[in-house]
Amino acid sequence: MTIRCDRVRELAPGFVLGALDAADMAAVHQHLIGCRDPHPELRELGGVLPYLATSLEPVEPPARLRAAVIAAAQADLAAHPRSAEVAGSRVATIRRTIPAPESGAVEAEAAEQVNGAMVVSLTSARRSRRRRALAWTTRVAAAAAVVAVVAYGFGVIHEPGAGPSAGPSFDYKGQGTVYAGLTPQASSHAAGLAVLKPSGHLYVYVNGLAPTTGDQVYMVWVTAAKDTILAGYFTVNAQGDGSIQMDNVPRAASLWVQVCIEPNEHVTQPTGPTVASGTIFT
Amino acid sequence: MGAPPPLDVNQEVAAEESEAELMRQVAAGEIGGLETLYDRHHAMAYALALRITTEPGLAEDVVQDSFLGLWRNAGRYAEAKGSVRGWLLAIVRHRAIDTIRRQKKGVTLDDDTSDIVPAALTLPDIWPEVAGRLDAEEIRVALEGLPSAQREAIEFAYFDGLTQREIATRTGAPLGTVKSRMRLGLVALRRELLGVTDVIDARRST
Repeated sequence: MTIRCDRVRELAPGFVLGALDAADMAAVHQHLIGCRDPHPELRELGGVLPYLATSLEPVEPPARLRAAVIAAAQADLAAHPRSAEVAGSRVATIRRTIPAPESGAVEAEAAEQVNGAMVVSLTSARRSRRRRALAWTTRVAAAAAVVAVVAYGFGVIHEPGAGPSAGPSFDYKGQGTVYAGLTPQASSHAAGLAVLKPSGHLYVYVNGLAPTTGDQVYMVWVTAAKDTILAGYFTVNAQGDGSIQMDNVPRAASLWVQVCIEPNEHVTQPTGPTVASGTIFT
Repeated sequence: MGAPPPLDVNQEVAAEESEAELMRQVAAGEIGGLETLYDRHHAMAYALALRITTEPGLAEDVVQDSFLGLWRNAGRYAEAKGSVRGWLLAIVRHRAIDTIRRQKKGVTLDDDTSDIVPAALTLPDIWPEVAGRLDAEEIRVALEGLPSAQREAIEFAYFDGLTQREIATRTGAPLGTVKSRMRLGLVALRRELLGVTDVIDARRST
């Protein structure tokens, strides 16, 4: 639907408040794309909006939220390092060369060689079984996570082109990709990121996890509609990081992702405490 | 205890410049920049998310996703004209309203579910012009000074995410009346808060 400038001015109050019907919102958007009129009324009316929020009394959220935000950002940075051009503006940093995984056929062992703090620390006996849950692309992502998170811990910049970004890491900023932060639950300090690709692949990164002992594993459960299914599982060493990839994620309006610590890898439904969770709206 | 020191306008400007620098750091992937921005704005972001969603758990999710959105899109901010605070609160509001709308059955969502905040919410705000001059109490007084029907129309839209048509249904007022109240209320707020009259007033009567 094409509308004229007069109509945009008429719709301006509802537009800046996002209170128009979908068709009118779309029509105004469409008009603004090609219109030469700067439509100052939109700026003038829209300028009031920040005041509305500021009329509220600030409310202190739970302290764990800060850790969750930072952990999610770290996970995002790990999976999608910033470009050299942007990073060039950084100040006062320490640089260190980080060994790069082989481009192409990256193995989990390559990640282990990066710094000895592999996210998924597997014994030889378990490795073959776990391969179903941890595809090679996950290992690449895991390596990326380890490099970036550990690098951050040392105040080291990820060297563009020298680390996982040079390999076949995935890009989840593409069209149709949705994500959610995983917020710590109960007394946990774990937090992370769940990313759903349009292809139906789900990637989950978590850090701040307590190390697993004995047969303990962290299991990632996905609830779509009323069905809860296992997305994958992993053990954790002192580094406290973990990740999984799930293929063929069921389609649903929303996916509730929860990370639970379970007594062993044979449980078929969540039984242990949830350490982090979040909802992806598809 | 003496009187509070007079407002240093240059200090306010410097603070804004500092926020712009923080955004550049965030765009470059520096976690420290995000930490500072979080420390400055998290309480207001959470208050807004909580006001809209009314559930602490949902509000936490909204705030986390909003800061993550800021983290991932900081490079786009450099081209905007508004304050970081206004930009962040626009993201929070958008995500919070998106969340509550998704919880309603049968509601058709806007197509924008990406990281990108709708254009209506990224319009340059005038926060830097008045930062420091107005506190929350003054803003509440300005809001309360509006005729109740105008304030209600604005608050239903801003805090509850209702469309004009939904507000008309809820209040029993004709749709045209709701539109008029919304316009008059926003213009009056702008006049009250900024002491300006502008093109909007002239066009309103035509």
